[in-house]
Amino acid sequence: MTYLSYFKAECLALFRTKQRVVNALLFFVMVVVLFPLGIDPSADFLSPAAGGIIWCAVALSVIVSLESMFKENYVDGVLTQLILSGLSLPWLMLIKVGVYWGAMVLPLLILTPIFSEMLFLPSDSLWVLISTLLLGSPGLFLIGSIGAALTVSLKQGAMLMVLLILPFYFPIIIFSSAAIKAVQLGMPYGGLLALIAAISLLALVVSPVMTSLCIKASVR
Amino acid sequence: MNWVWFHKLGSPKWFFQWASKWSTPVFYLGLLCLLVGVIWGLVFAPTDYQQGETYRIIYVHVPAAVLAESCYLSLGVAGLVYLVWQMKMAPIFIKSMAPVGAAMAAIALISGAIWGKPTWGTWWVWDARLTSVLVLFILYMGIIALQNTLEDVALANQAAAIVSVLGLINLPIIKYSVNWWNTLHQPASFGLTKKPAMPMEMWLPLLISLVGFYFLVAGLAMWRMQSEILLRERRSQWVKEKVMNDGV
Repeated sequence: MTYLSYFKAECLALFRTKQRVVNALLFFVMVVVLFPLGIDPSADFLSPAAGGIIWCAVALSVIVSLESMFKENYVDGVLTQLILSGLSLPWLMLIKVGVYWGAMVLPLLILTPIFSEMLFLPSDSLWVLISTLLLGSPGLFLIGSIGAALTVSLKQGAMLMVLLILPFYFPIIIFSSAAIKAVQLGMPYGGLLALIAAISLLALVVSPVMTSLCIKASVR
Repeated sequence: MNWVWFHKLGSPKWFFQWASKWSTPVFYLGLLCLLVGVIWGLVFAPTDYQQGETYRIIYVHVPAAVLAESCYLSLGVAGLVYLVWQMKMAPIFIKSMAPVGAAMAAIALISGAIWGKPTWGTWWVWDARLTSVLVLFILYMGIIALQNTLEDVALANQAAAIVSVLGLINLPIIKYSVNWWNTLHQPASFGLTKKPAMPMEMWLPLLISLVGFYFLVAGLAMWRMQSEILLRERRSQWVKEKVMNDGV
């Protein structure tokens, strides 16, 4: 096994279980629909809230999609094989997270303009929303993979993973919705984007190592 | 009354032979009706005095919306048939029809959005009709997801049938949403029972287009059901013989 062959195998495996990605996207749609139906469907409420709503939906659907990330690999012994393969486990984890990120972010980027239109997001904020998504979502996936690795050996790990991981998503969500608010008020937002990018970069350095530690602890 | 045809419908083999005779002519008849209706509606029908040319979207939007509801009604009936009589064909029908219905709901939503932009000044509003059709679309997607996710075929059949029946509750909500709530969406502009609110030259192409949509969907569903039957009955003798004799 090489890094390249692992990358190809992961892509193929994800493609064959594409319904999982579709389910996570449907979940995203459902969460977005909840807000106008549950609170207020008027443009006065939705227009300033749209960025935050979309970010909450993204965070929740990312957790849902990552929850089963290692489950099957754990059950059928692939994780043990990865540990024994002689390749660096953090790099393998990074490849896996990268594949998940690509599969999830591309459709999300297609859905985002549609839903920001449905939530009456002003069109000048759309590009800021998309750049926060592009900068912030790697952080979501990298942090989420730690939670998925932690709870991989548990039968009912989903709820625990949400409880563990969601607090780490708060900074990304706060800075993203602050950036979208800033552009609506005509204030500079470059610094906030830089902060989001910094969180993602920090996660990029730390999370593959942490994930592989958790995997090693779970597989015995 | 002779009920033999009803029992025969339960047999995949009989249905396959029947559908292979009928699906192609039905589909092309639908395509012909649709072309006639749409071209007549888009080019020759008179301009509306209130909405101008934009009203012409109804020749696509109304049939798609009607079909989205009809398809779901048929799913619900099939689900009920499966739950009561455990007929083999019902889950095959649900599985083949759900993506078609989802496509119809998507066409209705998208064409409505395109019409809404010049008329209401917005692509989307969260009003009762639009939201309930969005829920219909999500229900279709849920049924598709259920069948793709559950690996146990018997469980997937049962679950899809139950969800199909449960989702029927949404249909009256869609139908009467424009009457119950004060919505931006106008009340039904098309009906067979009451006198049409539009002149004959507008109404007739709409009727032809609607009939075309029905036939088109029926043909599509039969095609999809044929391939689903072949997949599910792949171990049975008649499928093996058919593939050996005719090729795939």
